[in-house]
Amino acid sequence: MEEVLAKVQTAFKSAFHVDPRTITLDTSPDDVPAWDSMGHVTLASDLERAFGLNFDVDDLMAMENVREICRVVQSKLGKVEGAHLQ
Amino acid sequence: MHISSEWNFAGRLVERLGKNSDLIDAATGKTFPATDVPGLIVGFAAGFLSTGMQPGDRVLISCDLSPASSLAYLGAVYAGCVPVLVDGRTLAASGDLVFAKAHAKAAWTAQGIRWDWARNNNFPQVEGTFDPRPAHLLRPSPCSENDLAVLMPTSGSTGVPRLVMVSHGNLIANTEAIIRSQHLATDEKAMLIMPVSYCFGASIMHTHLYQGGGVVFDSRFMFPDKVLRAINQYGCTTFAGVPTVYNILLRRSHLGSIALPGLRRFLQAGGALAPESIQQLRKIVPTPDFLVMYGQTEATARISHLPSDRLGEKLGSAGMPLDNLTVRIVDDMGQELPNGQTGEIQVRGPSVCGGYLDDPEATQCKFDHGWLKTGDLGSLDAEGCLWISGRAGEFIKIRGFRVSFAEVEAKVSAIPGVYECAAAGVHHPEAGEALALFIVGDNGAQALVERVRHALPPQWTCNSVKLVAELPRTANGKIARSQLQTLV
Repeated sequence: MEEVLAKVQTAFKSAFHVDPRTITLDTSPDDVPAWDSMGHVTLASDLERAFGLNFDVDDLMAMENVREICRVVQSKLGKVEGAHLQ
Repeated sequence: MHISSEWNFAGRLVERLGKNSDLIDAATGKTFPATDVPGLIVGFAAGFLSTGMQPGDRVLISCDLSPASSLAYLGAVYAGCVPVLVDGRTLAASGDLVFAKAHAKAAWTAQGIRWDWARNNNFPQVEGTFDPRPAHLLRPSPCSENDLAVLMPTSGSTGVPRLVMVSHGNLIANTEAIIRSQHLATDEKAMLIMPVSYCFGASIMHTHLYQGGGVVFDSRFMFPDKVLRAINQYGCTTFAGVPTVYNILLRRSHLGSIALPGLRRFLQAGGALAPESIQQLRKIVPTPDFLVMYGQTEATARISHLPSDRLGEKLGSAGMPLDNLTVRIVDDMGQELPNGQTGEIQVRGPSVCGGYLDDPEATQCKFDHGWLKTGDLGSLDAEGCLWISGRAGEFIKIRGFRVSFAEVEAKVSAIPGVYECAAAGVHHPEAGEALALFIVGDNGAQALVERVRHALPPQWTCNSVKLVAELPRTANGKIARSQLQTLV
């Protein structure tokens, strides 16, 4: 989880130019002024690049705060790894 | 000059509020019931005056997507103070500069000032809401038609925004003309996802309240389905957005599976939405009207509108001027051009504003003997419909021919596999200037780049086609041209 969070923090830095240390699991759009509808799309793209993932509509809708972002990323990473094993 | 309480825009609006004029924050569910709204606006007016502010004094209003900033804005206008509307992002970055530029006396925020620039000095701030107050205890501040009502920032610009001087007469004229053009009833409710510091957002709020309707504010458009569900939950009848908003709805929401039975109209302005996207939307959600509009902050908000029933025959047009405006097309020498010929779009009428605050040079460039020189290029057809071919500063000359980014972007966006496109200009040794294209498209397609190159007409010299994850956008969702140039 920590490794995921660290990468998520980096994505926040590149998407919103914020200090990554201020991003915690509890951070929500209310805490980051630039995290609006356009910002969310930018953030999602940065996350996709960082983790090599593709988010669908449901993933984007679920990403309501950093904790949920980490959960979505981890669950998708799990699926990707599972696919490699087969 | 006739001076009267009746010219006060907020005074008129308060009088016209009705039983449907609830203000709702969809993110929290907090509702200001219609019965309280008039008193709350008057309460804000009294509150501002109680802090020592006088009619004519300017007050910065921090505009977020909640009812409070609209109440503060209207309360200030009611008191005769001049609100300077600024979105949160601009405030955080350069609020001190806007404050100084507007000679503001104070800044209002919903939850206290959190910006670094305001922490160090003793910043005069007003915070939160005020107790409601009956309208008969405080009459609207008397004013004349031409008195300054609000200072609106111009969107899309970088750095410190220019402030457009909007009068009470401008607001009344534009609000009433928009209401007529959209046939707004008295039971409307708008879903607003744009702040009122953007003239399009303000016009939605003005028209719906002025007609006795209500407004739902929703800051959650990053989760478009939540907004779609809130439209149903609160019975919204109007949804408004800029092109990006509709592209997000098409690509990143469940628009097709969330029925919107109560919605009466989609409003679209703030740039050209590709005709293909409009058709796609109509197919997915056929029942509500789809109204395309064109406007500028310098004309208060709206200039023209295309009624839904003419969308089929005039798809791609910005529609007809509002019924109290005159639009003409002029050439470089200022001569009026006949129908069908392309030139600069100019507008005259009671909603054309008085100019920019403390900027006579820019004012002179843009305003000429009652005509607003929009800087946009277009033509009028035989039926008086306006066709916009390029926005101010958004075209280049390729081999001597003017090519507008809007035209290029619409064409490229229609290529299968391309979601969105933004065009920029670069220097080219032979053509003078050439296109640099940025496209958002299906994942991982070098083939797409080739397809785009092949689809371009030969006269459009193209220097580069780059696949990007997202296009740079302004806070209002428009393509950030200046940022784009840095990516070239």
